[in-house]
Amino acid sequence: MTHATTLRFPMNRVEGDLEIEAEIAGGLVADAWCSGTMFRGFEQILAGRGALDGLVITPRICGICGTAHLTAASRALDGAAGVEVPDNGLRLRNTALMIEHLQSDMRHAFLMFMADFAGPAYLQHPLHEEAVRRYTPFSGETTIETVHETKKVLEIVAIVGGQWPHSSYMVPGGVVSVPSESDLIQCFHLLARYRRWYEKRVLGCELERWDAIRSAADLDVWLEEKNEHRQSEVGFYLRFARQAGLDAIGKGHGNFLSYGALDLPRQTKVKPVIEGDMRLVPAGFARGAAIEAFDHEKITEHVAHSWFEDPGGARHPLDGSTSPYASGREGDKYSWAKAPRYDGAPAETGPLAEMIVARRPLFLDLLRKAGPTVLVRELARLTRPALLAPVVETWLREMSDDGDGFYNRPGEIVEGVGIGLTHAARGALGHWVKIQDRKIVHYQIITPTAWHASPRDDNGIRGVIEEALVGTPVKDASNPIEIGHVIRSFDPCLVCTVHSVSKHGSRTLIRL
Amino acid sequence: MSMNLYWLQSGGCGGDTMSLLNAEDPSLPEGMESLGIDVLWHPSLSNSSAAEQTMLLDRLTTGEQELDILCVEGTVIRGPGGSGMYDTFHGRPKKDLISALARKANYVVAVGTCASFGGIGTGAKVEAAGLQFTKWTKGGFLGEQFAARSGVPVVNLAGCPAHCEVILGLLSALVAGRAPELDDYHRPLPWYGVLVHQGCTRNEYHEYRVEEKEFGEKGCLFFYKGCHGPLVYGPCNKLLWNRRSSKTRIGVPCFGCTRPDFPQDYPFFETQSIEGIPRELPNGVKRAHYMAYKGMAAAAAPERLKERKTEI
Repeated sequence: MTHATTLRFPMNRVEGDLEIEAEIAGGLVADAWCSGTMFRGFEQILAGRGALDGLVITPRICGICGTAHLTAASRALDGAAGVEVPDNGLRLRNTALMIEHLQSDMRHAFLMFMADFAGPAYLQHPLHEEAVRRYTPFSGETTIETVHETKKVLEIVAIVGGQWPHSSYMVPGGVVSVPSESDLIQCFHLLARYRRWYEKRVLGCELERWDAIRSAADLDVWLEEKNEHRQSEVGFYLRFARQAGLDAIGKGHGNFLSYGALDLPRQTKVKPVIEGDMRLVPAGFARGAAIEAFDHEKITEHVAHSWFEDPGGARHPLDGSTSPYASGREGDKYSWAKAPRYDGAPAETGPLAEMIVARRPLFLDLLRKAGPTVLVRELARLTRPALLAPVVETWLREMSDDGDGFYNRPGEIVEGVGIGLTHAARGALGHWVKIQDRKIVHYQIITPTAWHASPRDDNGIRGVIEEALVGTPVKDASNPIEIGHVIRSFDPCLVCTVHSVSKHGSRTLIRL
Repeated sequence: MSMNLYWLQSGGCGGDTMSLLNAEDPSLPEGMESLGIDVLWHPSLSNSSAAEQTMLLDRLTTGEQELDILCVEGTVIRGPGGSGMYDTFHGRPKKDLISALARKANYVVAVGTCASFGGIGTGAKVEAAGLQFTKWTKGGFLGEQFAARSGVPVVNLAGCPAHCEVILGLLSALVAGRAPELDDYHRPLPWYGVLVHQGCTRNEYHEYRVEEKEFGEKGCLFFYKGCHGPLVYGPCNKLLWNRRSSKTRIGVPCFGCTRPDFPQDYPFFETQSIEGIPRELPNGVKRAHYMAYKGMAAAAAPERLKERKTEI
């Protein structure tokens, strides 16, 4: 006989505030509700402010992906002003955004995701002792190295953008800074340092060897090929995660969304991944491995289950509103997050979605064989730096040689409409702005975490994390580590709270 | 003397934690070890279970376990209508937890401008407040008379974000048993006694009033681009960011993020002026004197500066 237990508890090592309520029946998650528990009201704060103010205010939405918000805000204003960004402006914008990814991917993986491997839930795991040595907060060997190497690579953002986090060096038309030859040389050395560390400790091989892995079978060959591969972070992750069952949980809807990001300069040695898509991260929407073209008009937001006044059905972000309506826990509404949908469907975004839409052979094969599991999703994040680092190198080099400018003066933005789409480390990010009489009259933001931590939509369809949790086995209800893995595999930028608890029927309260 | 520390995040972005992770000599893990600080809980870094965290909070709020240092990152969300329900924890307003812990801690540290002065969200629907100030007004969430158990009021490590060396510097002073002298807005003077302007590599352009009117020109950002460097206290150009540079050095105006009124209620990237002279002048300077001085300075500007030949 199954009796259902509802779990709610606070989750840490995610950025922001979120609660998950999970109904457990027969040791499995039977249903789940994902609820953002904090409203900050950025969109309303922006209305009435100066046309450029999004460049200062929106990076402050998120301390870990502020450069992505700055990119989205600048791109929206490029559009509103009708200005083109010169090649070096593109290179310098892309450089800081990609460095932010290099930082975030490693901090997320080792400080936030793997930290659980060192926790009490895995005392019986054969690799637990090794995980404790690597990932114990504040003292693990990998933890300390990650803190050290990520802060070094972020120095590049400070050199080109003044500081990290929270710079505002991108403006409509390009960037305000013009790095000197000496600045670029310093950046080059800092990036080379990161790459050496990443190859030696994270991959255990050179980037070229990793790039040669094109299938699940290749991955197994690589793992067994050398002790360096098995002992590297990726090798250890694969061994630990398989034995922990992470290759069987967290699949979800199987829809993948990429807005496309990182415009290629007009003149560059970097080749497009998909012919005709002039971005390093191509755009597309995939149901499973069936990929279709991306159309931003198909993005809508639903608020039937969100604590906002319902404008009457799904809205495109240029027509949407953000008017808080706190109604408590009664009724249908249970989150401060809206429910974004693409062509009516929920979709996951982030490194794995990028790999699928870019048709990366290893990830297409893993998807075919095992589905979008926690293991595959985190592997995509862990290995994305292998794709990004060499491109940053090329763009730094090209900036020294290319006489093209960093900034085209757009003139004052009196009125206009702009859409700024890009990717944060954790996935697709969009800003939609309308300007009238030199002031912002409308600003809407959809973050990658809104896609992932979405509540149900107007049709009652679960959000991405909600769906991915269904069917997850929970061994110990007092420490439901599996739920944590599924949620953290999406790298949510929210402090996640999964709340207290009641049992249907007898309503036993369990505090977790 | 070793101390324990509880780090609480409220209405913020986590940027102060990200800043803290940038610390170099010592780095965050090395610093906690060498200072003997036991981090009981940090929401982004700890891996204890939810059950352990709940028990810890019970021990701290009942006084069963003493709390040495409480760090709060993010604004106190009081909306809607003073209920605090725009930011909840375990279904209860987060602000209640802040209050309970602040009354038990020996030192309360507001990390960043949101926790110090309310920051983003003051005057908006979320009814944001700093711990002991709301913008320029003393009081804030905990009240004008609040003092932590040590007798020290809330220490404000202003900045958006707070600089990593300021956070670790203050913790080092507290562990050594010294609470540093504070300014009128409770910012510790060792770090907030210098202007952002001090150390900016554009200083020669500033001296001779060679200004940037368009982004990317070499020049000073004070007269046209809304730079607050000469007006606002903060160690940006003394300590530098990420050990490398600062916003003003690379051409982004200082937005005055350490000041209680951040974010300002007028547009960024432009200077509010009266007859071509900034409305707001450096502390203690008379307008007539400033006009005469800047007029003469501009007249004295050498050609090499006017031609923007000095590197920045």
